[in-house]
This record gives sequence, C-alpha cells and structure tokens, in this order.
Amino acid sequence: MKGCRILAAMVLFVLIFSMTAAADSINTTVDVNEGIVLNGDIHLEVLDVGTNWGSYAKLKFYSYKDAGGKTESIYMGDVPTTYTSGTFMKIEVTLDSISYDTAFLMIESTTSLKISDRYGFEGEDETEKEKQKPITVPKLGITRTFDTNRAEQGQTIRTTLTIRNTGNGTATNIVLDEDTITGAYKDGCPSTIDDIAAGETKRISYDLRIVDAQPGTYELSPAILNYESESGATYSSESSSSILEILPEEVRIPELEISIDSVKGIITCGDEFPVTVTITNVGNATTGKVHVKSDLPADVRVVDGDLEPEYESIKPGDSEEYDVSLRAYEQGKHTIEMQVMWGDSEAAASFEFWAEKSGLEQYYLYILAAIPILLLLLWVIKRRREYSY
Amino acid sequence: MLNILILGLGQCGNRILDAINREAFGSGGTFAKYYSRQKFPASVKTIAINTAVNDLKELKNTLAKDRFHVPHLHGVGANRNIGKQVFEENKEMILEEIDKRGSFDLIFVITSTAGGSGSSFAPLLVGELKRTYNAPIICIAVLPFRAEGSIFLQNTAFCLRELVATKSSGILLVDNQYLKKYSGEDIKSAYDKINTTTARRILFLIEALNSEMLMVTDLGDLKTVMSGGIGVGTMGFYEASKGSTIKSTILGSFKPSGLLFPANVYKDGARAMLIIKGDKKYLDLDLVTKTVEELSKEVGQVFKGVLVKKGRPKVLSLFTLNAVPELEKLYTVAAEAIRFEMEKREKSKKQLDNAFAHIEDLEPIY
Repeated sequence: MKGCRILAAMVLFVLIFSMTAAADSINTTVDVNEGIVLNGDIHLEVLDVGTNWGSYAKLKFYSYKDAGGKTESIYMGDVPTTYTSGTFMKIEVTLDSISYDTAFLMIESTTSLKISDRYGFEGEDETEKEKQKPITVPKLGITRTFDTNRAEQGQTIRTTLTIRNTGNGTATNIVLDEDTITGAYKDGCPSTIDDIAAGETKRISYDLRIVDAQPGTYELSPAILNYESESGATYSSESSSSILEILPEEVRIPELEISIDSVKGIITCGDEFPVTVTITNVGNATTGKVHVKSDLPADVRVVDGDLEPEYESIKPGDSEEYDVSLRAYEQGKHTIEMQVMWGDSEAAASFEFWAEKSGLEQYYLYILAAIPILLLLLWVIKRRREYSY
Repeated sequence: MLNILILGLGQCGNRILDAINREAFGSGGTFAKYYSRQKFPASVKTIAINTAVNDLKELKNTLAKDRFHVPHLHGVGANRNIGKQVFEENKEMILEEIDKRGSFDLIFVITSTAGGSGSSFAPLLVGELKRTYNAPIICIAVLPFRAEGSIFLQNTAFCLRELVATKSSGILLVDNQYLKKYSGEDIKSAYDKINTTTARRILFLIEALNSEMLMVTDLGDLKTVMSGGIGVGTMGFYEASKGSTIKSTILGSFKPSGLLFPANVYKDGARAMLIIKGDKKYLDLDLVTKTVEELSKEVGQVFKGVLVKKGRPKVLSLFTLNAVPELEKLYTVAAEAIRFEMEKREKSKKQLDNAFAHIEDLEPIY
C-alpha cells in the first residue's frame, strides 16, 4: 500500500506537471481501468497491459462526437497509433513501457495537449477476462514482385507473392483475390493458400503469361488476401499496386541484302574479271532456303564459279560471300543484276561496269587497213631502193 | 624462151637501156616500177655500163644491181683512148659482171658512137663477148647530131669503123640527126623520143623472136638478115591507121619517116625481116605473102613473121644495107672536122711556140 501511495504521489506529480505544461507532447502513466480526458475531448482508457509477442497495452479511444471510438492494442516499438476525434483533434500514442498494471504512454498532437480529467472505471471481471485471454490475431502482409516489369507478347512473367504473418495467430482460410490485365493469364496461381502460422512467411510463385495483351503500361490492382483468425475473425490485407509494361510484340523476320563488288575502272573485253557477291541477313530471324538468281547481259559469260548458288539458311547477322569470274565480249556499258530470294521475299542489287576492247582489238580494222598500206609503202621503199643507185 | 642480154654502154646506151626497162613495165607510167614488174617478152637481162657514175644515177627504171660502174673518176671525157685503156683495165670485172647473168641466145650492145665510154668500150666489148659467148651480137649504134662537135664526129667515125671490124652479127644504126627532124621538138624531148622509139622497136623484135607466130621468123632468120650487105642496117616501123590495109601497113614500115636511119631500102636494101603484129581479122596472109614477094623483088631476101595479137596491125621492118650513102656523108664531115681540128691545133701550137720564143734567151730575174 505504501508503494501504491508513492506511485500515486508520483502520478499526481506528473499529472500536475503535465497539466501545467503547455506542449504538443505529453508522457503519462495510466493504470489499468483508468482513463484520461485530453483537452476535454478525447477519452483514453487503459483496458489491459501484458506481454504476448512483446509488451502491449490495450487502449480504448473515444470522444464526445465519436462515442464508439476504437479499441486497439499497441506494442512497444510499434509506430504510433493514431486517433482522430469527432472534432478532428488528432493524437498519436506510443507505448513506452508497462508495469504489471500501468502503461507508460507518450501522447503527441499537433495542438497543445492537456489532461483535463482522469477517472477510473469498472474493469471486466476475471471470468470474462479469462474468456478473452487466448485471443490471437493473425496479421498477414503481402508483397508482389515480378522478375520483370516489361514483357512482350508471348513472354511469361514470373510472379512471386510473399506473404508474412506478423500477427500472433495463425491465419486460416486464406483466399487470394488478385486481378490481372486482359490478355494475360496466370498459370499455377492458387486461389486459396494454406494456413500461415504466426511469424511464418510463405512465398507463392506462378507464371503470368502475356498472350494477347494490348501493348501499354498497366497498373495492376493490389493482391488482396482475405483470411480468418483461429477464432473466426475475418481479416483482409493487400499488397501495393504494381506497374507492368507490355511491349509491342517484336516481329522476327529474316531480311537479306545482296551486294556485288568487282574491280573498279574499265574492263577489257575478253579479259576475265572477278565479281564478289555478298548476301547478308540483316533481319532478326534465320531464313529458309535461299536462292540466288542472276541476269547477265547477253555478251557476259561466267568463266569460273557458280553465279547462282543456293543456301539452306542464313542466320541473322551472318553473311555468305562467293566469287565468280566473268568475261565480257562486247564494248559498252554493262549491268549485272542479281536477285536473292527467300520465302516470299527477295532483294536485288545491280553492278554496272564499262567494257572496252583492247587497243589491238579496238583498232584492228584500222590496223588491218593500214597493213596493206604499210606493205605497199614497204614495197615502194624496197622498189625505190632497188632502183636507187 | 630466149635468153637475151642487153648492154647499154655510156650515157646514150644507158638511157636507151633505161627506156627499154621502162617500156617493159607497160603503160603504167612513171610509178609503175613501184607496183609492177617488168614484163619482157623473153628472159631479158640488162646491164648499164658506164664510167660516169652520175649517168648511172640518172637512170630511173634500171635496177641498181643492173648498173655497173667502171671506176674511172667521172667518165673518160669523150676520149676514146682513155676509154679503151679503162676498158682494158676493167674488162675482167665487166665480163665477170656479165657472166653472172648466165648464158645468152642473143646479145644487144647499145651505144652511142660519139661519146667516150660507150664508143670506146663497144668495139672492145663486142670482141670480148664474141670470144666468150656463142650468141649473135647485134650492136645498136646511135649516131650523133652532126653539130655536136668535132670530137663526137671523129669518135663516131672511128667507133663505127672498129665496130664493123669486130664482125659482130650486125649493126643497126640510129641517127639522132635524122630522127630530130621528125620529132620536131627540143633536144631533150627529141632524145627521150628517140630513146623510147628505139627501145620499143627492140622490144618488138624480142617479142617476135620469142613468140609462136602464125608465120614464123626466128633468131636464125635474124642472123641471116643481119649478115646481109655490109652488116649495117636499121629498123622501120609503121602502125596501121583506120582503114589501112595490111599491104599499106607493110609498105609504111619501109617509108623513110619510119626508119631510124636515113636509107633508101628499096635501092640499098640487102636483106629484110618483116614482123607483123595485129588482130587476126586484119591479117590477110595471102596479101601479106603477096606483098612480101613484091618487096623481095626490090629489097632482096625478106623474112616475114606474123604475130597474132589484139589491136591494129603494126609492122617492124629490119634491114641490112648494101650501101650507106649517109655514112659516107658523115665520114666526110668527120674527116673535115678532124682536119680542121688538126689545123687549129697546129696553129695554136705555133702561136704558143711564137709566144714562148719571146723569152727563149731570157732568165727570170729576182
């Protein structure tokens, strides 16, 4: 009793001190079955204190315009518990510590706080108390993660739901309610989840197949868990919403380019000259069978090599190159046209060159014409010499 | 085929030889030699021989290899004595050059009787050829203009005498003086015309001798003709005009205007050869025979040959003479010229001796 008096004296001292202190934060002790009135508006009553998964105090809040108020257990170390009265006075209460029937509370507000009254009330009887003693509360938290937030049509996103029971009771009858975007289908995602014991973390993974979703950026609504405690109380928790970007489906097609290269400058008629044909797959898919067709001028002949080879396939980025030797017989401008065909597609290239006859060939008519003249001249010279003395 | 050698001696002989070579090219003109070959009617070899290299250089249609220079400065200066000496010094070389041409069936030696090299070489060479070759040698001797000078006249006189003395197969005379009056042109043109005329008649003769004829005359007949009379003769020629008969054509070749040397062939003719060439349609053989028979009565033996070729009839007549009055005139003129020359020289010598006599007893004083 003497202890109680000393404690009472201390409470009185603190109360007096608190009442006199004009601040937005107050520390106070409140006994079990004792209540305080803050600023003549908010009633804060301590219903119970104890230790279960940590020290806690069960508090009841109500006010003049919020007669129902709320009852909540706050734990040491938890974030402040907020209560807003019917007159919009807001307080935040943190449990600092407990003794066997006293809770040490820190109360904060944006307005000045004053304990305007302190009163006692009739507590629950032991029997009722005993009945409520085994109450346990599961508390599931759920987070949703994707292996990638960007996906193309046909791609599969690995989705992982991490569910953690931070309560003190086992969560049962857990039902997962999770929407998805149109055109995406979940594969292996359970609609119900096995019980999760307090402190247990469960991970559920499933594939989200993007089948025919329209490209764009989607905000997936939160995944909702509806569950019950062992006592049958129902609870609900949800994850945060997620952003998922569906990329346009990449078209994968082969694309061939053909190029023709040869010697620069003028080709001499009748001389062989090399031609290099290069076929490159600049697309992003492997071709099927590739055919090469050529269109040569009438007077151009293939001397060596195959000008129209076939290839079974050409991989993206790969090139096929081959050399042939050609020979042009007529003078003038020539155009070699090449076509490469694959599937239903084709590409073409052309190469122009100028052929000229060699000096001898070009002027052989003149030379031919000059020969008799030369012979005649030589003959004349010879005859002149024969007759020169 | 006859192998015939034609030698042109001295400037005159060289030029007639050159004309023969030119005519052998046919009607191709100046440039024929550059694109054509000579078409001799037989196998003809020609050599132009001269001591004057400039005369050889002037030839246009004779092959260089057929020009033979007898080395003696630039000619013998119309001095036959020097010419003879030069020939003697070089005759082996000359004969060797001739010998390179092979053997011959007939040899023509063409020379002027007036010049130096030709007139001095000809008699000596004919003599050498007679000894070397068993072939008839006919000399074509060209007589000079009478006004060319006393040396040429005396050369002609002595040369002709020596040629006759060689007893060659015959001498055919070509008289520049005579032909000049028919050419009626300047000296150079006259020379050219005379040379061409002479060349054509020689070639005509060669063609006839080497061809198969309708009526045959041959080399043997030629030898017989050339041995007639004094062995000296000449040639005549006539080409039928439109409307001419073969008789008038034959007789035309006897006219003085067609002869190379002035002669009265009807009066002085010893033997003759007639070569008639022309299209068969013009050749009335009976008339030819009859005409020849008539001529034979006046001229003596006349050999005839008829050669069928396209064109109007042409007749070459070749005579030897029993008398050559024109030569007598020439010798008279020549003798006068020699005497005049001798007198002039003696007079000059006397004048010189008189001039020297002025200093006979004197000595030069310095």
